[in-house]
Amino acid sequence: MKDILLVAGREFRQIVSMRSFWLTLLLLPAALALGPIIAQYLEDDEPTRIAIVDRAGGGGGQAIEDRIALEQGRAALADLSRHVARYDLQSANPQAPWAMGERWFTGDDVARFEAEGGMDAAMARLKQAKPPATPEYEPPAADYAIVPLPPALSEAPETSFADRAQAYLEDTDDDTGPELIAEIGSGWPQQPVVRIISGDRPRGSFVTMVQDVLTRDLRSRAMTAAGMNADAADAVQDAAPAIAIVTPAPGGGATETMLVRSIVPLALSYVLLMALLLSGSWMLQSSIEERTNKLIESLLACIRPEDLMYGKLVGTVAVGLAMIVFWVVCAAIAIFAAQGVVSQFVGPALEPLASPGIVLAIVYFFVAGYILVSMLFLAIGSLANSMSEAQGYLMPVMLGIMLPVFFTLQAVISGNDGFVVQLFTWVPLWAPFTVLARLGTGIETWQIVGTGIVLALFLVAEFVLLGRLFRASLLSQGQKAGFAELIERMKRKA
Amino acid sequence: MRQGGHHVPPFESCALNRGAKPCYRAGHMSGGNMDILKVTHLTKRFGDVRAVHDLSFAVQPGRIFGFLGGNGAGKTTTLRMVLDIIRPTEGQIEIAGCAPDKRDSAAIGFLPEERGLYDNMTAIDAIVYFGRLKGMDRHDARAHGMELLDRFDLADRAKTKLSAMSKGMAQKVQLATALVNRPRLLLLDEPFSGLDPVNQGLLEREILNAAADGAAVLFSTHVMQHAERLCDTLLLLKKGEKRFEGTLAEARAMLPARIEAVAHDRIAALPGIRAAEAQDERGEVGPGGDGPWRRYMLELEPGVDAGDVLEACTAQGVPLRRFQERQASLHEVFVQLVGDAEIEK
Repeated sequence: MKDILLVAGREFRQIVSMRSFWLTLLLLPAALALGPIIAQYLEDDEPTRIAIVDRAGGGGGQAIEDRIALEQGRAALADLSRHVARYDLQSANPQAPWAMGERWFTGDDVARFEAEGGMDAAMARLKQAKPPATPEYEPPAADYAIVPLPPALSEAPETSFADRAQAYLEDTDDDTGPELIAEIGSGWPQQPVVRIISGDRPRGSFVTMVQDVLTRDLRSRAMTAAGMNADAADAVQDAAPAIAIVTPAPGGGATETMLVRSIVPLALSYVLLMALLLSGSWMLQSSIEERTNKLIESLLACIRPEDLMYGKLVGTVAVGLAMIVFWVVCAAIAIFAAQGVVSQFVGPALEPLASPGIVLAIVYFFVAGYILVSMLFLAIGSLANSMSEAQGYLMPVMLGIMLPVFFTLQAVISGNDGFVVQLFTWVPLWAPFTVLARLGTGIETWQIVGTGIVLALFLVAEFVLLGRLFRASLLSQGQKAGFAELIERMKRKA
Repeated sequence: MRQGGHHVPPFESCALNRGAKPCYRAGHMSGGNMDILKVTHLTKRFGDVRAVHDLSFAVQPGRIFGFLGGNGAGKTTTLRMVLDIIRPTEGQIEIAGCAPDKRDSAAIGFLPEERGLYDNMTAIDAIVYFGRLKGMDRHDARAHGMELLDRFDLADRAKTKLSAMSKGMAQKVQLATALVNRPRLLLLDEPFSGLDPVNQGLLEREILNAAADGAAVLFSTHVMQHAERLCDTLLLLKKGEKRFEGTLAEARAMLPARIEAVAHDRIAALPGIRAAEAQDERGEVGPGGDGPWRRYMLELEPGVDAGDVLEACTAQGVPLRRFQERQASLHEVFVQLVGDAEIEK
């Protein structure tokens, strides 16, 4: 054990003495620190200015404006209720819609909210009720603002309107004029054509909203034309099933599913991949240095090859974990410094991690994943005589890890829990990444235990076989090993 | 046997009671002439290649043992087996009576043929690192490391990174890593290769010092001059097999004795002379001479020595101007035993 720690200590010091280590270590916190500042400059907080031209005068234009107001009211109400729940401010007005927890807000909720004074009245109440340490609430910026049509376009005939509007949007640099114009033709509803004229690609949500509102208008007209009275037509339009959403309580309250409603495991999956790529390349460099500097024989005269291997592994894993601890500390400092802004998002993400079982699962799969891939790097280091030769071995291994992992992470983020994700959960090479990612969206407990056992067995086999390969390859300097030779080396016991 | 006053630690208490064979390592090696290293019928095969075959020898404390042979003779393979870097196919190795084990590294010093250290380490850090790998505590390793650097005129470069040192300096540091633990068994694989004459001299002194301090020294070489100057015992290997083991005198005795003489022709007919070769002034075969005097290189019959020939000259009244016995050099013995081709390698 003493020899392992000696080798690990030297390995750790060597990596830490590299400039590339410090550059990498500081790069992420620097990016995290500069990111919000840069984003602030890049972010467009201004609402998209919209002008609506309703040539038919049948109420379609007004319906679109009402719908925009409703959606913005709903979004503001949801954001406000999230803030109230986060800081336990329900006592400010327990009967208000925003004090009743996060949920789907109906049109009635929004109407009531507006009737009770809207955002200004709610904020005034919150200001009185909030403890001094609670940050001020900042309402979200509106997505859209309705503006009048500029005089240059208001007189334009319908036939040439689209061209003139297009020219106006391209040529005019007016901060108050419309950026997008929706025109309902005079032939509505017989000719149900709506033109959306925009300098840029219009937001999908806006197009969907316009389509939804005007479809409802067309259907109402069609139903009344068919003899149905207006109230009955509205009732048909409003008919929809009630959907009750039941989810496990945060913190893994479910018995069948281990679900951490948190971005943390998924983020750790990415961090694991990133830290492995970095520390793996350092370990490769160090192994190849020992070979090219002809150090191996001197070392093996003092210690067992296994101790050298374990020492290098422990040293590199320690470097990787130290980097992660440093990044986590930086993140914690940033959260503490930013208080309200960042902690509003990070706090809830950390809360579910309080369960020991979840912490254990995260730590196990993280460390096991680190060791599993580091062993591969170590074996490659023992095979290669130079960095360029190492690249030849490294490329297929890296592709074999990264491509499936990226695919899995994307699939998990988009809620895909299909066959491939299930399969990757059970393949040891990808299991640590997949399980970490799935912990954030839902994975059954039996799967975690099962794949954990498979991973442990695979690690034992990896240690035995790659340990033999490492030992047999150490003194084979200058000899290129084909696939058959690699297998032969893995079979050699000593 | 050389014995010195310098403190040499005994082998560690036998972590080696691991086989049926009794180990006698615990403190028994400090003063006796028991074999520190004993190799018995050692064979190593790599697939179809036989690197070492049925090799046996032993090294005692205070002795310098020369391991001679061309490249590919099996020297390095044998040393690696002694160091437990690779395992024998057949045969036994005993270090202080026990099978090789990494726990013995505290008592073994090793200088490999291919040398190198961590470039970004300082000289003293490299020595301390290897000292600690051999079981020394940091303080002791540093103290003795500084002592060695001082002896090698490198004390002022102790904190210089190896990448900033000349090759010669780095080689001295490497030697210090082999000696830092005051080894009882010092294994040197082609130690003189790549060294400049000054460092060769330094290394020779260190080998003699180590032996004088009671260490058993085994070094491999294919440079006969070093072996002639240093070794108490020589072992010649060819293609993994032992061709000779013995002292330098015994090695020389393997070739017939020769006498360089300036005498009359009658000397060639004396009893005990196997062959007489007339030479010119430059030592080449030819009719050189000054009147009746001729220069001869006489090769004697086995069992006949120079004294017998001199006695015969006196008895038979053969006049002599010069009579000088010439011993065979180790190089000549080597050529005789393993052939020119092995030296060329």
